[in-house]
Amino acid sequence: MSASNTLILCWLGLAALSVTSVQLGNTGATLLMTGAVLLAALGKAWLIADGFMELRHAPRMWRWLLLGWPLALVAGVLLSLALRG
Amino acid sequence: MSTSLEAFASPARRLPGDLAMWFFILAELTVFALLILTFAVAQALQPQLFHASRQLLDSSTGLALTLSLLTSGLFAALALEQVRQARASRAAWLLLAALLSASVYVLLKLGEYSHLAGAGLGIEHNTFFTLYWMLTGFHFVHVLLGLLILGWLAERCRRRAYGPDNCSVMESGVLYWHMVDLVWVLLFPLVYILN
Repeated sequence: MSASNTLILCWLGLAALSVTSVQLGNTGATLLMTGAVLLAALGKAWLIADGFMELRHAPRMWRWLLLGWPLALVAGVLLSLALRG
Repeated sequence: MSTSLEAFASPARRLPGDLAMWFFILAELTVFALLILTFAVAQALQPQLFHASRQLLDSSTGLALTLSLLTSGLFAALALEQVRQARASRAAWLLLAALLSASVYVLLKLGEYSHLAGAGLGIEHNTFFTLYWMLTGFHFVHVLLGLLILGWLAERCRRRAYGPDNCSVMESGVLYWHMVDLVWVLLFPLVYILN
């Protein structure tokens, strides 16, 4: 597959996950919904880092640094929600 | 002296752009992480207030903002691919498309800011809106800087300044734009969707 086609596939995935997130948000405020929306955000961050930023071909340290950023944030948000509950 | 990380990487793996840009991106992501986590903690402390305030935002506008940024990111990535194939002229047009798509974001965001300010939901209204204005405002400044970078790159491509063996600056500029996307995809659900 050409690099351009890969990029277009990444964009389609990003758009689909964005629409799904909003639809999930409209279904109500449950822990499952929150988890699904955050999972979608992680998926989008991965598509941007590995697809658009080309980190899938980068040295592992940089790849995991960038992929660790959304993971840490989602963990922080989940922790804050858990402490509230 | 080259600041590329290639010398430290295995031959099969390559970090695009300039190493300095990656350190800049890490620094920016750290600042955004602090702001986003502050928002999350404040939300945990005042859940009712955040729930009620979030209802005043339009998630469909948030979705349109997201799609315009992501589309702009796609055009910028495609432009870089064209430069690598020695098609600088096509790259210039794609960067122009990225600029236009990003301009949609700017117009929508300005409309949202204007609507909120007009409704009295300014930065001092409550904790949610204080953090909303700080977080999205800081991101908005990055988008404006990104517009300048995209415009400058488009002009440089039009003058055929970049080619397959000379595109590190272009890679760095496009990476900055993808960082703006990366921050938004985490910011968007937290501010507009999660209840």
